[in-house]
Amino acid sequence: MTASPQDLTRRDFLAGGSLATFMGLLGGVELVAQPEEAAKDEAPPTPANKVKCAVIGCGVWGREIVSTLSRIPTAQVVALCDKYPAYLKRAARLAPEAKPIEDYRKILEDQDIPVVIVATPSHLHKPVALEALQAGKHVYCEAPLATTLEDAKAIALAAKHSPKLHFQTGLHFRSDPQRPFVLNFIRSGATGKTIMARSQWHKKQSWRFTAPDPEREKEINWRLDPQTSLGLVGEIGIHQIDSASWFLGARPTAVTGFGSLMLWNDGRVVPDTIQTLFEYPDGVRFQHDCTLANSFDSDYEAYYGSDAAILIRGSKAWMFKEVDAPALGWEVYARKETFYKETGIALMVGASKQQALTEEPAQDAAKPTALQHALTNFLRNANDLSSAAEDFTTNFGSDDPKALLEHLATVPRQPHAGYREGFEAAVMALKAHEAIATGRRIELKPEWFELA
Amino acid sequence: MKTPGILVAALLLAAAASAQAAEGVTQYQAKPGSKMRMEGTSNIHDWQVEGNIIGGSLEVGPNFPSDPTKAAPGKVDAKATVSIPVRSMKSVEKDGKPYNAKMDDIMYEKLLEPTNKAIKFVLGELVVKEAAKAASDPVVFEAKGELTVAGKSKPITMPLKMTVLPDDKLKFSGTAAVKMTDFGIQPPEPLGLGIKTGDDLKLIFDWVVGKKKA
Repeated sequence: MTASPQDLTRRDFLAGGSLATFMGLLGGVELVAQPEEAAKDEAPPTPANKVKCAVIGCGVWGREIVSTLSRIPTAQVVALCDKYPAYLKRAARLAPEAKPIEDYRKILEDQDIPVVIVATPSHLHKPVALEALQAGKHVYCEAPLATTLEDAKAIALAAKHSPKLHFQTGLHFRSDPQRPFVLNFIRSGATGKTIMARSQWHKKQSWRFTAPDPEREKEINWRLDPQTSLGLVGEIGIHQIDSASWFLGARPTAVTGFGSLMLWNDGRVVPDTIQTLFEYPDGVRFQHDCTLANSFDSDYEAYYGSDAAILIRGSKAWMFKEVDAPALGWEVYARKETFYKETGIALMVGASKQQALTEEPAQDAAKPTALQHALTNFLRNANDLSSAAEDFTTNFGSDDPKALLEHLATVPRQPHAGYREGFEAAVMALKAHEAIATGRRIELKPEWFELA
Repeated sequence: MKTPGILVAALLLAAAASAQAAEGVTQYQAKPGSKMRMEGTSNIHDWQVEGNIIGGSLEVGPNFPSDPTKAAPGKVDAKATVSIPVRSMKSVEKDGKPYNAKMDDIMYEKLLEPTNKAIKFVLGELVVKEAAKAASDPVVFEAKGELTVAGKSKPITMPLKMTVLPDDKLKFSGTAAVKMTDFGIQPPEPLGLGIKTGDDLKLIFDWVVGKKKA
């Protein structure tokens, strides 16, 4: 997902202590991820554990990635790429040891760089991702994979046919350890029968950037160009849509959507406000709305069950029980917070009872973001796969490629969104975008999700 | 005369056979299909680590039993070096699913990876204890050798079972009980929450080797 400078400001705002106040006004039993106690006895990464990587595409989100990598001990950013010198310079400040390069092909030729992160504008992912895989690089490709179904399929298939390489899509929620923890409450039946889900992403911002010349201005505002942009649903909604499918454990069967230009009448045609409705099996529906015209309540996801609802905001989550829901037992001891006069139970991943009672909600700034988890896992997965291939060929030679692939299939991977999740999310976002653009309900055919 | 001809033929055959025997050495190389498992304890719960790369080679002399049912008890000529890449070992749940990457990192640190990339075993002596009951049953050996973990070596003796597999392959299965402190490793106390890892380790392995093709 691409972010704007204002997103970074919002993060700072939340970290500044006002989060506690904000949360105090709301009510809910909080699900808080345990702060990293393991850091005390954690193996300090030796040089061999560091993974050399390059970031291709140094726009706002690319720079967020560079900045996040600088906080990951196993990451060593050795090259940065952008064809726009000003962006390259800004990124270089964030990673002074990295070599700034204008042509991404030079990075792909470098045998010393095993992994690349593709953060170019979405419509330009394909050539870089495909060539990177061909060059034998492990690839992290931002979401949406592409802006057309054909391109998304091409990328996903190339990844599928490169079993020696690790491919990850930038759907970073999939790497956040808080999420499978929360999902367990749904899967275990604590929330009862799933009724519906909704999510929103609201943030008042223009999305328009200015640039010194008209050609650059057109390039930089690719998100406002219907030729090159999937709009809000493709750039932002895709994360929550993927999350909903993950949590609901199914693919949507149909999508309806609407879009309007409500505030930013600067000549653009891409809507600044959208509402989408995804239909899932058994009558379950998921609503998602997204606007650049209002910031109230920011972003969250809510999953409603007959016994409880779960609210996820960033890396925090709360459970709101129905009065007639069966007692789970542990909630008597859990910390509770009040949201709009509703009481929510905090669910803390990995915590003992005492910690659940006494621990203060960790500030956002202290915990790794989902993006950090995703990039950490990416580097680990890529390194583990390369090491496994190396160990295999060193010990058994290279004359049994089938056995090598069988061995690689046994290498455990840290949680991530792979090419399949990336492709399916792209299909859902693309079709939602089409529904918004045409004003039609679109039935999502199962074969659209297939990767030959 | 017929007899001398047969005699000559027999002598030639014997000569050929003894020439083969004098050379006598058969070489085997590690093949995919091995499994290595390390079991440990702690004050909270038992744990297990698995890997499926066991590299190395084996060289056996003419007295190495080619027919498992006819293995005569006694010492056999055999040399072997075995190597297990430390980073190929990963912690697993009881059902074999991956457990925890952080535990793996602590293990690698304790085993001094990447300075010491492998757990090594060098075979010193191999003695047949019991022949196989049937062709598909294992031959029981006792193996003596030197085990090197985190750069420190220790002599060990362990029972070894050898099963003949198709395609000129052999499988050696064994168990060795060792202690972390034998190799200068202090049992880790991760997370600072009072989890104390036990000193005792059980190494269980199946090592598959195949005859080296000329």
